[in-house]
Amino acid sequence: MRPVYVAGAAVHPFGKHLGVNAAELGFRAVQELLASTGISPEQVDAGYGGSTYGGSLLAQRVLQRVGVSGPPVYTVENACASGASAVHLGWQAIAGGFADCVIAFGTENLSGFGGGTLPLTTNDIEISQGMVMTAAYAMRAQRYLHDFGATADDLTRVSVKNRGNGARNPRAHFQQAISPEDVKQSRPVADPLRLLHCCPNSDGAAGVLLCSEEFAKELTTPSIRMRASVVRSGDFHTSYRDMTWPDITARAAKAAYEMAGLKPNDLDLVELHDAFSVAEFLHTEALGITERGQAYKATARGEFDRDGRVAISPSGGLLSRGHPVGATGVTQICESYWQLTGEAADLQVPGAEVALTHVTGGGIFGVDNGACSIHILTTN
Amino acid sequence: MNTQTSHATTLVGGEWIHQDGDHTALMITKCHNCGSTWFPPREICSKCASGNVEQTRTGNYGIAYASTVVRIGPAAFQPPYVLAYVDLDGARFLAHVDADEALAPNTPVELRVGAIGEDDTGALSSYIVAEVTELPASGVAR
Repeated sequence: MRPVYVAGAAVHPFGKHLGVNAAELGFRAVQELLASTGISPEQVDAGYGGSTYGGSLLAQRVLQRVGVSGPPVYTVENACASGASAVHLGWQAIAGGFADCVIAFGTENLSGFGGGTLPLTTNDIEISQGMVMTAAYAMRAQRYLHDFGATADDLTRVSVKNRGNGARNPRAHFQQAISPEDVKQSRPVADPLRLLHCCPNSDGAAGVLLCSEEFAKELTTPSIRMRASVVRSGDFHTSYRDMTWPDITARAAKAAYEMAGLKPNDLDLVELHDAFSVAEFLHTEALGITERGQAYKATARGEFDRDGRVAISPSGGLLSRGHPVGATGVTQICESYWQLTGEAADLQVPGAEVALTHVTGGGIFGVDNGACSIHILTTN
Repeated sequence: MNTQTSHATTLVGGEWIHQDGDHTALMITKCHNCGSTWFPPREICSKCASGNVEQTRTGNYGIAYASTVVRIGPAAFQPPYVLAYVDLDGARFLAHVDADEALAPNTPVELRVGAIGEDDTGALSSYIVAEVTELPASGVAR
Protein backbone atom coordinates (compact mmCIF):
# COMPACT_ATOMS: atom_id res chain seq x y z
CA MET A 1 0.00 0.00 0.00
CA ARG A 2 1.16 3.53 -0.76
CA PRO A 3 1.19 6.24 1.92
CA VAL A 4 -1.84 8.53 1.81
CA TYR A 5 -1.83 12.22 2.71
CA VAL A 6 -4.46 14.77 3.59
CA ALA A 7 -3.43 17.96 1.81
CA GLY A 8 -6.41 20.20 2.32
CA ALA A 9 -9.58 20.65 4.35
CA ALA A 10 -12.67 22.82 4.11
CA VAL A 11 -15.82 23.08 6.21
CA HIS A 12 -19.06 24.88 5.55
CA PRO A 13 -19.94 26.12 9.05
CA PHE A 14 -22.44 23.85 10.80
CA GLY A 15 -25.75 25.21 12.03
CA LYS A 16 -29.27 25.79 10.80
CA HIS A 17 -29.25 26.50 7.08
CA LEU A 18 -32.91 26.08 6.29
CA GLY A 19 -33.53 26.02 2.54
CA VAL A 20 -29.88 25.37 1.64
CA ASN A 21 -29.96 21.77 0.46
CA ALA A 22 -27.25 19.15 0.97
CA ALA A 23 -25.89 19.50 -2.57
CA GLU A 24 -25.53 23.27 -2.19
CA LEU A 25 -23.78 22.93 1.19
CA GLY A 26 -21.48 20.28 -0.27
CA PHE A 27 -20.71 22.49 -3.27
CA ARG A 28 -19.71 25.37 -0.99
CA ALA A 29 -17.33 23.15 1.01
CA VAL A 30 -15.76 21.54 -2.06
CA GLN A 31 -15.42 24.85 -3.86
CA GLU A 32 -13.54 26.19 -0.83
CA LEU A 33 -11.38 23.05 -0.79
CA LEU A 34 -10.31 23.59 -4.41
CA ALA A 35 -9.66 27.28 -3.84
CA SER A 36 -7.60 26.71 -0.70
CA THR A 37 -5.46 23.92 -2.18
CA GLY A 38 -5.07 25.58 -5.56
CA ILE A 39 -5.77 22.41 -7.51
CA SER A 40 -7.81 22.38 -10.69
CA PRO A 41 -10.70 19.99 -11.34
CA GLU A 42 -8.86 17.96 -14.02
CA GLN A 43 -6.29 16.92 -11.39
CA VAL A 44 -8.99 15.08 -9.43
CA ASP A 45 -8.95 11.36 -10.28
CA ALA A 46 -12.07 10.36 -8.31
CA GLY A 47 -14.71 11.76 -5.97
CA TYR A 48 -16.58 10.34 -2.98
CA GLY A 49 -19.51 12.03 -1.27
CA GLY A 50 -21.12 10.82 1.97
CA SER A 51 -24.68 11.69 2.88
CA THR A 52 -27.59 9.89 4.54
CA TYR A 53 -30.50 12.05 3.47
CA GLY A 54 -29.00 13.85 0.44
CA GLY A 55 -30.53 11.57 -2.17
CA SER A 56 -29.40 9.74 -5.28
CA LEU A 57 -26.22 10.85 -7.06
CA LEU A 58 -25.48 13.45 -4.39
CA ALA A 59 -21.73 13.29 -5.08
CA GLN A 60 -22.22 13.94 -8.79
CA ARG A 61 -24.57 16.85 -8.09
CA VAL A 62 -21.88 18.45 -5.92
CA LEU A 63 -18.71 17.68 -7.85
CA GLN A 64 -19.99 18.47 -11.35
CA ARG A 65 -20.52 22.05 -10.18
CA VAL A 66 -16.77 22.44 -9.64
CA GLY A 67 -15.74 20.78 -12.90
CA VAL A 68 -15.24 17.23 -11.61
CA SER A 69 -17.42 15.34 -14.09
CA GLY A 70 -16.23 12.36 -16.04
CA PRO A 71 -13.99 10.52 -13.55
CA PRO A 72 -15.43 7.92 -11.18
CA VAL A 73 -17.69 9.51 -8.57
CA TYR A 74 -19.52 7.67 -5.80
CA THR A 75 -22.27 8.57 -3.36
CA VAL A 76 -21.81 6.74 -0.07
CA GLU A 77 -24.51 6.05 2.52
CA ASN A 78 -23.45 4.55 5.86
CA ALA A 79 -25.60 6.50 8.36
CA CYS A 80 -23.45 8.60 10.73
CA ALA A 81 -20.32 7.06 9.20
CA SER A 82 -21.26 8.08 5.62
CA GLY A 83 -18.68 10.85 5.31
CA ALA A 84 -15.88 8.87 6.94
CA SER A 85 -16.76 5.90 4.71
CA ALA A 86 -16.38 8.18 1.68
CA VAL A 87 -12.94 9.17 2.97
CA HIS A 88 -12.08 5.50 3.48
CA LEU A 89 -12.94 4.67 -0.14
CA GLY A 90 -10.81 7.59 -1.28
CA TRP A 91 -7.98 6.30 0.92
CA GLN A 92 -8.32 2.86 -0.72
CA ALA A 93 -7.99 4.40 -4.18
CA ILE A 94 -4.79 6.27 -3.30
CA ALA A 95 -3.26 3.49 -1.18
CA GLY A 96 -4.00 0.96 -3.92
CA GLY A 97 -2.43 3.10 -6.62
CA PHE A 98 -5.64 3.68 -8.55
CA ALA A 99 -5.64 7.45 -8.01
CA ASP A 100 -3.18 10.20 -7.05
CA CYS A 101 -5.67 12.83 -5.97
CA VAL A 102 -9.26 12.47 -4.77
CA ILE A 103 -11.88 14.59 -3.11
CA ALA A 104 -13.90 13.09 -0.28
CA PHE A 105 -16.67 15.06 1.34
CA GLY A 106 -19.78 14.73 3.46
CA THR A 107 -22.86 16.90 3.49
CA GLU A 108 -26.28 16.98 5.08
CA ASN A 109 -29.27 19.20 5.60
CA LEU A 110 -31.44 18.10 8.52
CA SER A 111 -33.42 21.34 8.96
CA GLY A 112 -35.84 20.10 6.35
CA PHE A 113 -37.11 17.50 8.86
CA GLY A 114 -38.22 20.11 11.39
CA GLY A 115 -37.45 19.45 15.07
CA GLY A 116 -37.45 16.36 17.27
CA THR A 117 -35.74 13.04 16.79
CA LEU A 118 -34.41 12.02 13.39
CA PRO A 119 -36.44 9.68 11.19
CA LEU A 120 -34.81 6.23 11.15
CA THR A 121 -34.99 3.36 8.71
CA THR A 122 -38.42 1.85 8.28
CA ASN A 123 -39.19 -1.87 8.38
CA ASP A 124 -37.26 -2.32 11.60
CA ILE A 125 -38.99 -4.05 14.50
CA GLU A 126 -37.52 -1.72 17.13
CA ILE A 127 -38.40 1.43 15.21
CA SER A 128 -41.97 0.17 14.79
CA GLN A 129 -41.96 -0.15 18.62
CA GLY A 130 -41.06 3.52 19.07
CA MET A 131 -37.26 3.29 19.21
CA VAL A 132 -35.39 6.55 18.61
CA MET A 133 -31.64 7.24 18.89
CA THR A 134 -32.15 9.19 22.11
CA ALA A 135 -33.77 6.13 23.70
CA ALA A 136 -30.94 3.82 22.60
CA TYR A 137 -28.32 6.11 24.17
CA ALA A 138 -30.51 6.74 27.23
CA MET A 139 -30.57 3.00 27.93
CA ARG A 140 -26.80 2.76 27.40
CA ALA A 141 -26.50 5.66 29.87
CA GLN A 142 -28.79 4.07 32.44
CA ARG A 143 -26.80 0.86 32.29
CA TYR A 144 -23.40 2.64 32.37
CA LEU A 145 -24.42 4.61 35.46
CA HIS A 146 -25.74 1.41 37.05
CA ASP A 147 -22.72 -0.75 36.24
CA PHE A 148 -19.93 1.71 37.06
CA GLY A 149 -21.41 4.03 39.67
CA ALA A 150 -21.39 7.18 37.56
CA THR A 151 -24.14 9.79 37.93
CA ALA A 152 -26.06 12.18 35.69
CA ASP A 153 -23.62 14.87 36.88
CA ASP A 154 -20.83 12.90 35.17
CA LEU A 155 -22.78 12.98 31.90
CA THR A 156 -23.22 16.70 32.37
CA ARG A 157 -19.46 17.16 32.74
CA VAL A 158 -18.98 15.93 29.14
CA SER A 159 -21.51 18.44 27.83
CA VAL A 160 -19.89 21.29 29.75
CA LYS A 161 -16.37 20.35 28.57
CA ASN A 162 -17.31 19.96 24.92
CA ARG A 163 -19.49 23.05 24.78
CA GLY A 164 -16.60 24.96 26.34
CA ASN A 165 -14.32 23.74 23.55
CA GLY A 166 -16.93 24.51 20.90
CA ALA A 167 -17.25 28.07 22.16
CA ARG A 168 -13.89 28.68 20.46
CA ASN A 169 -14.82 27.02 17.17
CA PRO A 170 -16.17 29.36 14.47
CA ARG A 171 -17.45 26.33 12.53
CA ALA A 172 -19.55 24.94 15.40
CA HIS A 173 -23.33 24.98 15.54
CA PHE A 174 -23.21 26.03 19.23
CA GLN A 175 -20.49 28.54 20.11
CA GLN A 176 -21.53 29.26 23.66
CA ALA A 177 -20.16 27.65 26.82
CA ILE A 178 -22.73 26.20 29.22
CA SER A 179 -22.82 25.55 32.96
CA PRO A 180 -23.86 22.37 34.78
CA GLU A 181 -26.94 24.28 35.89
CA ASP A 182 -27.89 24.97 32.24
CA VAL A 183 -27.79 21.22 31.58
CA LYS A 184 -29.84 20.47 34.68
CA GLN A 185 -32.47 22.99 33.64
CA SER A 186 -32.74 21.74 30.05
CA ARG A 187 -35.70 19.62 28.94
CA PRO A 188 -35.69 15.93 29.79
CA VAL A 189 -35.50 14.01 26.49
CA ALA A 190 -35.11 10.34 27.43
CA ASP A 191 -34.21 9.59 31.06
CA PRO A 192 -31.47 10.13 32.21
CA LEU A 193 -30.63 12.33 29.18
CA ARG A 194 -31.61 15.96 28.99
CA LEU A 195 -31.55 18.16 25.91
CA LEU A 196 -28.01 19.43 26.60
CA HIS A 197 -26.76 15.84 26.82
CA CYS A 198 -27.72 15.48 23.13
CA CYS A 199 -26.11 16.82 19.96
CA PRO A 200 -28.26 19.04 17.77
CA ASN A 201 -29.54 18.09 14.33
CA SER A 202 -27.48 20.36 12.09
CA ASP A 203 -26.83 21.32 8.51
CA GLY A 204 -23.32 21.50 7.14
CA ALA A 205 -20.64 20.04 4.90
CA ALA A 206 -16.94 19.24 4.96
CA GLY A 207 -14.39 18.08 2.41
CA VAL A 208 -10.81 16.82 2.33
CA LEU A 209 -8.23 16.42 -0.40
CA LEU A 210 -6.46 13.06 -0.25
CA CYS A 211 -3.37 12.41 -2.33
CA SER A 212 -0.21 10.40 -2.85
CA GLU A 213 3.18 11.45 -1.52
CA GLU A 214 4.34 12.69 -4.96
CA PHE A 215 1.17 14.69 -5.44
CA ALA A 216 1.46 16.25 -1.98
CA LYS A 217 4.98 17.47 -2.80
CA GLU A 218 3.64 19.50 -5.74
CA LEU A 219 1.19 21.37 -3.53
CA THR A 220 1.88 24.52 -1.54
CA THR A 221 -0.53 23.51 1.24
CA PRO A 222 0.79 21.55 4.25
CA SER A 223 -0.10 17.86 4.38
CA ILE A 224 -0.52 15.25 7.10
CA ARG A 225 -0.23 11.49 6.85
CA MET A 226 -3.27 9.21 7.05
CA ARG A 227 -1.79 6.27 8.95
CA ALA A 228 -4.98 4.24 9.27
CA SER A 229 -8.38 4.19 7.64
CA VAL A 230 -10.88 1.59 8.82
CA VAL A 231 -14.59 0.86 8.39
CA ARG A 232 -16.45 -1.89 10.23
CA SER A 233 -20.08 -3.01 10.30
CA GLY A 234 -22.02 -4.05 13.37
CA ASP A 235 -21.91 -7.61 14.74
CA PHE A 236 -25.54 -8.68 14.19
CA HIS A 237 -27.15 -10.82 16.86
CA THR A 238 -30.30 -10.73 18.97
CA SER A 239 -29.02 -12.36 22.14
CA TYR A 240 -27.76 -10.59 25.29
CA ARG A 241 -25.41 -7.70 24.64
CA ASP A 242 -23.32 -5.51 26.94
CA MET A 243 -24.52 -2.08 25.89
CA THR A 244 -21.72 -0.34 27.83
CA TRP A 245 -19.11 -1.84 25.49
CA PRO A 246 -19.47 -0.73 21.85
CA ASP A 247 -17.67 -3.67 20.27
CA ILE A 248 -17.91 -2.11 16.80
CA THR A 249 -15.68 0.72 18.09
CA ALA A 250 -13.32 -1.71 19.80
CA ARG A 251 -12.94 -3.83 16.65
CA ALA A 252 -12.40 -0.82 14.39
CA ALA A 253 -9.89 0.65 16.87
CA LYS A 254 -7.88 -2.56 17.09
CA ALA A 255 -7.58 -2.67 13.30
CA ALA A 256 -6.68 1.03 13.12
CA TYR A 257 -3.96 0.84 15.79
CA GLU A 258 -2.46 -2.19 14.05
CA MET A 259 -2.49 -0.48 10.67
CA ALA A 260 -0.90 2.68 12.08
CA GLY A 261 1.59 0.87 14.31
CA LEU A 262 0.45 3.17 17.13
CA LYS A 263 -1.11 2.75 20.55
CA PRO A 264 -3.77 4.68 22.46
CA ASN A 265 -0.97 6.25 24.53
CA ASP A 266 0.44 7.87 21.39
CA LEU A 267 -2.68 9.97 20.77
CA ASP A 268 -2.58 13.73 21.37
CA LEU A 269 -6.18 14.37 20.40
CA VAL A 270 -9.32 12.46 19.59
CA GLU A 271 -12.48 13.57 17.80
CA LEU A 272 -15.03 10.90 18.66
CA HIS A 273 -18.73 10.28 18.22
CA ASP A 274 -20.17 12.11 21.24
CA ALA A 275 -23.69 12.19 19.80
CA PHE A 276 -24.83 11.96 23.42
CA SER A 277 -22.69 12.67 26.50
CA VAL A 278 -22.60 9.02 27.55
CA ALA A 279 -21.15 8.08 24.16
CA GLU A 280 -17.91 9.88 25.02
CA PHE A 281 -17.42 7.56 28.00
CA LEU A 282 -18.29 4.43 26.02
CA HIS A 283 -16.02 5.23 23.10
CA THR A 284 -13.12 6.60 25.14
CA GLU A 285 -13.05 3.22 26.88
CA ALA A 286 -13.56 1.14 23.72
CA LEU A 287 -10.77 3.13 22.03
CA GLY A 288 -8.46 1.98 24.83
CA ILE A 289 -7.74 5.50 26.08
CA THR A 290 -8.81 4.64 29.60
CA GLU A 291 -9.76 1.53 31.55
CA ARG A 292 -13.25 0.10 31.42
CA GLY A 293 -15.67 2.05 33.60
CA GLN A 294 -13.09 4.75 34.34
CA ALA A 295 -13.79 7.38 31.66
CA TYR A 296 -16.14 9.37 33.85
CA LYS A 297 -13.51 9.65 36.57
CA ALA A 298 -10.79 10.65 34.11
CA THR A 299 -13.15 13.29 32.67
CA ALA A 300 -13.75 14.70 36.16
CA ARG A 301 -9.96 14.87 36.69
CA GLY A 302 -9.58 16.94 33.51
CA GLU A 303 -7.55 14.29 31.67
CA PHE A 304 -9.54 14.90 28.48
CA ASP A 305 -9.48 18.70 28.51
CA ARG A 306 -7.75 20.46 25.64
CA ASP A 307 -4.59 20.78 27.75
CA GLY A 308 -5.07 17.42 29.47
CA ARG A 309 -3.43 14.01 28.98
CA VAL A 310 -5.25 13.55 25.66
CA ALA A 311 -7.63 16.16 24.28
CA ILE A 312 -11.03 14.60 23.59
CA SER A 313 -13.40 16.51 21.33
CA PRO A 314 -11.18 19.64 21.31
CA SER A 315 -13.27 21.08 18.46
CA GLY A 316 -16.39 20.79 20.60
CA GLY A 317 -17.49 17.36 19.43
CA LEU A 318 -20.91 16.59 18.04
CA LEU A 319 -22.36 18.19 21.18
CA SER A 320 -21.10 21.63 20.03
CA ARG A 321 -20.30 21.33 16.35
CA GLY A 322 -23.64 19.69 15.70
CA HIS A 323 -24.28 16.55 13.73
CA PRO A 324 -25.09 16.91 10.06
CA VAL A 325 -24.98 13.13 9.87
CA GLY A 326 -22.99 12.50 6.67
CA ALA A 327 -20.66 15.48 7.21
CA THR A 328 -19.52 14.61 10.74
CA GLY A 329 -16.80 12.08 9.92
CA VAL A 330 -15.20 14.40 7.38
CA THR A 331 -15.28 17.47 9.58
CA GLN A 332 -13.48 15.50 12.31
CA ILE A 333 -10.65 14.89 9.83
CA CYS A 334 -10.67 18.58 8.83
CA GLU A 335 -10.41 19.66 12.47
CA SER A 336 -7.56 17.18 12.98
CA TYR A 337 -5.83 18.47 9.83
CA TRP A 338 -5.80 21.98 11.29
CA GLN A 339 -4.60 20.65 14.63
CA LEU A 340 -1.69 18.73 13.10
CA THR A 341 -0.69 21.54 10.76
CA GLY A 342 -0.77 24.01 13.67
CA GLU A 343 -3.61 26.00 12.13
CA ALA A 344 -6.28 25.30 14.74
CA ALA A 345 -6.05 28.83 16.21
CA ASP A 346 -8.01 29.07 19.49
CA LEU A 347 -8.66 25.31 19.41
CA GLN A 348 -5.00 24.35 19.11
CA VAL A 349 -3.88 21.39 21.21
CA PRO A 350 -0.26 22.25 22.11
CA GLY A 351 2.25 20.07 20.27
CA ALA A 352 -0.39 17.91 18.55
CA GLU A 353 1.26 15.22 16.39
CA VAL A 354 -1.14 12.27 16.44
CA ALA A 355 -4.93 12.44 16.05
CA LEU A 356 -7.67 9.83 15.95
CA THR A 357 -11.14 10.39 14.51
CA HIS A 358 -14.10 8.11 15.19
CA VAL A 359 -17.70 8.03 14.00
CA THR A 360 -20.24 5.33 14.52
CA GLY A 361 -23.92 5.18 13.89
CA GLY A 362 -26.93 3.70 12.34
CA GLY A 363 -29.93 2.78 14.45
CA ILE A 364 -30.97 -0.67 13.29
CA PHE A 365 -31.90 -3.52 15.61
CA GLY A 366 -29.47 -6.31 16.46
CA VAL A 367 -26.22 -4.31 16.29
CA ASP A 368 -24.38 -1.71 18.41
CA ASN A 369 -24.37 0.44 15.32
CA GLY A 370 -24.61 -0.19 11.61
CA ALA A 371 -21.25 1.32 10.65
CA CYS A 372 -18.14 2.67 12.37
CA SER A 373 -15.09 4.36 10.90
CA ILE A 374 -11.78 5.29 12.47
CA HIS A 375 -8.91 7.31 11.01
CA ILE A 376 -5.48 7.91 12.55
CA LEU A 377 -3.54 10.93 11.34
CA THR A 378 0.02 12.05 12.06
CA THR A 379 2.15 15.07 11.26
CA ASN A 380 4.38 13.01 8.98
CA MET B 1 -44.74 -7.20 10.28
CA ASN B 2 -48.20 -5.83 11.02
CA THR B 3 -51.44 -7.75 11.29
CA GLN B 4 -54.73 -5.90 10.85
CA THR B 5 -57.69 -7.02 12.91
CA SER B 6 -61.34 -6.18 12.40
CA HIS B 7 -61.17 -3.58 15.19
CA ALA B 8 -58.67 -1.50 13.21
CA THR B 9 -56.05 -2.27 15.85
CA THR B 10 -52.63 -2.95 14.42
CA LEU B 11 -50.84 -5.63 16.40
CA VAL B 12 -47.18 -4.78 15.84
CA GLY B 13 -45.15 -8.00 15.62
CA GLY B 14 -48.41 -9.94 15.98
CA GLU B 15 -47.19 -12.96 14.02
CA TRP B 16 -44.50 -13.59 16.67
CA ILE B 17 -46.82 -13.45 19.68
CA HIS B 18 -48.20 -16.65 21.18
CA GLN B 19 -51.03 -16.31 23.66
CA ASP B 20 -52.31 -19.13 25.82
CA GLY B 21 -54.88 -18.06 28.37
CA ASP B 22 -53.21 -15.40 30.55
CA HIS B 23 -49.75 -16.33 29.30
CA THR B 24 -48.04 -14.34 26.57
CA ALA B 25 -44.93 -15.72 24.89
CA LEU B 26 -42.82 -14.83 21.86
CA MET B 27 -41.75 -17.10 19.06
CA ILE B 28 -37.95 -17.29 18.75
CA THR B 29 -35.51 -19.29 16.66
CA LYS B 30 -32.75 -21.54 17.98
CA CYS B 31 -30.02 -22.55 15.55
CA HIS B 32 -28.96 -26.18 15.98
CA ASN B 33 -25.80 -25.56 13.97
CA CYS B 34 -24.21 -22.63 15.90
CA GLY B 35 -26.47 -22.20 18.93
CA SER B 36 -27.62 -18.66 18.13
CA THR B 37 -30.98 -17.39 19.36
CA TRP B 38 -33.05 -15.06 17.18
CA PHE B 39 -35.94 -12.72 17.64
CA PRO B 40 -37.79 -12.01 15.42
CA PRO B 41 -37.75 -15.68 14.35
CA ARG B 42 -36.25 -16.67 11.01
CA GLU B 43 -35.88 -19.64 8.68
CA ILE B 44 -32.15 -19.22 8.10
CA CYS B 45 -29.71 -18.51 10.92
CA SER B 46 -28.30 -14.99 10.58
CA LYS B 47 -25.00 -16.09 12.14
CA CYS B 48 -24.05 -19.21 10.19
CA ALA B 49 -26.69 -19.22 7.40
CA SER B 50 -27.79 -22.74 8.40
CA GLY B 51 -31.36 -23.85 7.79
CA ASN B 52 -31.08 -26.31 10.68
CA VAL B 53 -33.13 -24.14 13.02
CA GLU B 54 -36.01 -24.70 15.40
CA GLN B 55 -38.92 -22.34 16.01
CA THR B 56 -39.68 -22.34 19.69
CA ARG B 57 -41.63 -20.39 22.30
CA THR B 58 -40.22 -18.29 25.14
CA GLY B 59 -41.43 -18.36 28.70
CA ASN B 60 -43.42 -15.36 29.88
CA TYR B 61 -40.96 -13.90 32.45
CA GLY B 62 -37.83 -11.94 31.61
CA ILE B 63 -35.35 -9.45 33.05
CA ALA B 64 -35.08 -5.77 32.06
CA TYR B 65 -31.52 -5.04 30.93
CA ALA B 66 -32.04 -1.28 30.64
CA SER B 67 -34.95 1.10 30.38
CA THR B 68 -35.85 4.72 29.68
CA VAL B 69 -38.78 7.10 29.49
CA VAL B 70 -38.98 8.65 26.02
CA ARG B 71 -40.21 12.20 26.60
CA ILE B 72 -39.64 13.53 23.09
CA GLY B 73 -40.42 11.04 20.35
CA PRO B 74 -42.76 10.06 17.52
CA ALA B 75 -46.33 11.29 18.10
CA ALA B 76 -47.78 7.84 17.29
CA PHE B 77 -46.43 6.50 20.58
CA GLN B 78 -47.81 9.41 22.60
CA PRO B 79 -44.75 10.48 24.64
CA PRO B 80 -43.94 10.08 27.42
CA TYR B 81 -43.65 6.31 27.03
CA VAL B 82 -41.39 3.77 28.68
CA LEU B 83 -39.17 1.37 26.75
CA ALA B 84 -36.96 -1.46 27.97
CA TYR B 85 -34.57 -4.01 26.56
CA VAL B 86 -35.67 -7.35 27.94
CA ASP B 87 -33.65 -10.57 28.21
CA LEU B 88 -35.66 -13.74 27.91
CA ASP B 89 -34.60 -17.31 27.06
CA GLY B 90 -31.45 -16.19 25.27
CA ALA B 91 -33.09 -13.43 23.25
CA ARG B 92 -33.03 -9.68 23.85
CA PHE B 93 -35.87 -7.59 22.53
CA LEU B 94 -37.23 -4.07 22.87
CA ALA B 95 -40.68 -3.58 24.35
CA HIS B 96 -42.92 -0.92 25.77
CA VAL B 97 -43.29 -1.05 29.53
CA ASP B 98 -46.61 -0.62 31.28
CA ALA B 99 -45.22 1.94 33.76
CA ASP B 100 -44.69 5.67 34.25
CA GLU B 101 -41.00 5.50 35.14
CA ALA B 102 -38.04 3.61 33.74
CA LEU B 103 -37.42 0.16 35.19
CA ALA B 104 -34.20 -0.26 37.15
CA PRO B 105 -31.70 -2.64 35.49
CA ASN B 106 -32.39 -6.30 36.38
CA THR B 107 -36.07 -5.76 37.22
CA PRO B 108 -38.07 -8.98 36.61
CA VAL B 109 -40.82 -8.42 34.05
CA GLU B 110 -43.77 -10.31 32.64
CA LEU B 111 -44.82 -10.43 28.99
CA ARG B 112 -48.26 -9.16 28.03
CA VAL B 113 -50.09 -7.76 25.06
CA GLY B 114 -51.10 -4.14 25.37
CA ALA B 115 -51.56 -0.75 23.74
CA ILE B 116 -48.44 1.09 22.56
CA GLY B 117 -49.89 4.01 20.62
CA GLU B 118 -52.14 5.20 17.87
CA ASP B 119 -51.49 6.33 14.29
CA ASP B 120 -53.72 7.44 11.37
CA THR B 121 -54.83 3.85 10.78
CA GLY B 122 -56.00 3.33 14.37
CA ALA B 123 -54.76 1.89 17.65
CA LEU B 124 -51.37 0.17 17.88
CA SER B 125 -50.75 -2.70 20.23
CA SER B 126 -47.92 -5.17 20.64
CA TYR B 127 -46.12 -7.43 23.10
CA ILE B 128 -45.24 -5.28 26.12
CA VAL B 129 -43.80 -5.95 29.55
CA ALA B 130 -44.73 -5.00 33.10
CA GLU B 131 -42.83 -5.35 36.36
CA VAL B 132 -43.57 -8.69 38.00
CA THR B 133 -45.51 -8.16 41.20
CA GLU B 134 -45.67 -11.82 42.20
CA LEU B 135 -42.71 -13.96 41.24
CA PRO B 136 -43.42 -17.47 39.97
CA ALA B 137 -42.31 -20.32 42.24
CA SER B 138 -39.63 -21.23 39.71
CA GLY B 139 -38.13 -17.71 39.91
CA VAL B 140 -36.90 -15.65 37.01
CA ALA B 141 -33.51 -16.47 35.54
CA ARG B 142 -31.78 -14.32 32.97
